[in-house]
Amino acid sequence: MSSKSIAVIRLSGELEIGRRSEIAQTLVVNGSEAGVLLDFSEVSYADSTSLAELLRFRDEAAKLNVPVVIVIGSKQFARLIQYAGLSHAFRIFDNRAEALTDLSGAAHE
Amino acid sequence: MGSDGRRTAISAAIFAIIVIALLVVGGLYVRGLIAQSFDIANRLTDARALAINALSYQVDEETGLRGYQATHQHAFLEPYLRSKPGFGPNLARLEAALPSLDLLDAKPAVDDLGTVNAHYLREVAAPLSTANPPANALALEALGKADVDRFRGDVRTIGLVIDRREIQAQADVRSSIDRIGLLVGAAVLLVLMISLLYGTSQAALATRVERERLRAAEQQHEADVLRTAYLTEKRIADTLQEAFVQRPLPTHPTFRFSATYVPASEEAKVGGDWYDALELPGNRVLFAIGDVTGHGIEAAVTMNRVRQALISSALLDPMPAPLLQRVSRELYTSKAPLVTAVAGFADANTYEFIYASAGHPPPLLIEPGRPPRMLEFGSLPLGAMDDNEYHTHRVQSVPGAMLVLYTDGAIEHSRDVVEGELILLAAAADAARVEPPDPATFIHDTIFAGREIGDDVAILTIGFAADPAVGVRISADRAQTAFSGNIAARLSDAQQRLARKVA
Repeated sequence: MSSKSIAVIRLSGELEIGRRSEIAQTLVVNGSEAGVLLDFSEVSYADSTSLAELLRFRDEAAKLNVPVVIVIGSKQFARLIQYAGLSHAFRIFDNRAEALTDLSGAAHE
Repeated sequence: MGSDGRRTAISAAIFAIIVIALLVVGGLYVRGLIAQSFDIANRLTDARALAINALSYQVDEETGLRGYQATHQHAFLEPYLRSKPGFGPNLARLEAALPSLDLLDAKPAVDDLGTVNAHYLREVAAPLSTANPPANALALEALGKADVDRFRGDVRTIGLVIDRREIQAQADVRSSIDRIGLLVGAAVLLVLMISLLYGTSQAALATRVERERLRAAEQQHEADVLRTAYLTEKRIADTLQEAFVQRPLPTHPTFRFSATYVPASEEAKVGGDWYDALELPGNRVLFAIGDVTGHGIEAAVTMNRVRQALISSALLDPMPAPLLQRVSRELYTSKAPLVTAVAGFADANTYEFIYASAGHPPPLLIEPGRPPRMLEFGSLPLGAMDDNEYHTHRVQSVPGAMLVLYTDGAIEHSRDVVEGELILLAAAADAARVEPPDPATFIHDTIFAGREIGDDVAILTIGFAADPAVGVRISADRAQTAFSGNIAARLSDAQQRLARKVA
């Protein structure tokens, strides 16, 4: 467990159907990670397709037992996460440092 | 096909012309050969007659002189005198006929005829034809006889040469006939070959025609398949379109309904947004609104499935959380696109809105004397996980209250949903103040006055009648409600039995 490292996945801008393949290729987990930090601090919008990709990612990470935290910077995106019912699916933070601390703790549990 | 027919006619005409030309040329050639053969035969006969005539002249000369010698009567000289001038021209004709009849072998004998005759006339006839016969008359007669014998020998030789030539001519005719046979054979062969070639080309043409026919049949079949596919596609599209047409809203003395659906564009007509409102037994109405991820036929199909599943499942048990769980599990199992929805029922007996939300924007409640507010929401979209958990929210409300359900297009026009919600709340406040007959359309039009519609927008409102008299009417309608409930209970029993059976 200790040899594993934390992966950081960063996306920014508006996540919409036109970027679906980019999002799908970016949101990848293979089980070798101690944890994944999704840095969405610069994401302002996500459509339902992108939220579906986020759900898929959450599902895969859960199956591989990889903890995931998410950093959300905009209240608009936070609201969309709430709509999607994901506010309980991820541990959500508004800055990266707190998220990393939390994730490190989770990874060493 | 038309050009092929023309080509066939041209081929047949050319074929006929070749055959006729062949027959004409062959006929003329045969005719020439036969005419030539007859001509040679005739001229050979003439030559033989000339030779025999020459012998006749010679014999007549000799016979006449011998008669005169025996009787010394001048009358006996007549054959001699008659024959003597005819001999020369007759011999000249015979000599002239020799080269053209290829009778040069007979030339020495013919020349000898002239020599013998001249000798006879000079040495025998001249002395014997005088008035006073010479003393050696008998010797001269013997000499004349020898000349005639020699003459006969020459004529026989000429006859043999003519015989040989006739045999050769007959052989020529036979070979000509053989050649004609060959020619006819060749002509027949040629005709047969042409026929064969023509037949082959006809067969090739027939094969091509058959191939064309098969290809046409194949193309027809493909067209039929495409047509069938098109009709099937059209039927599906029509069915979807029909399915998409929102059910008419129920009319109920206790409830007030309004709804609107505006697609983003013509292409998005078969979209994934929908709403439903359905009367339930016991003075309740089922409501649902939802949005399938994506657009197109798959979204429309999923939308229709979810609608049907929600309604049929709600008839078994309208409690929203288990209702959404059942539908979510079904969608997850079938790997359908994700669906966000709010579903529940309004109870006019208690003025409650009872609902559950699946990844959908929050319901909005308008109550008399209060500013509009967003209600609780949350939980994952339908089909996101096998074991999605949903929560049943109960909102105690009042007569005149109105629940506003909408799809994300109503608040995501500027991509800022926080601002979108504020605009929606403002529009709802306007609706509460204005009390329009069609609040859904009013809210939609208020939001999108001067704004572009970026996505499908569906809005459904469910309100309780504000008139307190309604409560009295509810009591008066109790018997009917109980009756309806009874039917529903029986229906519910039957459906539960069916569900057990299917399970």
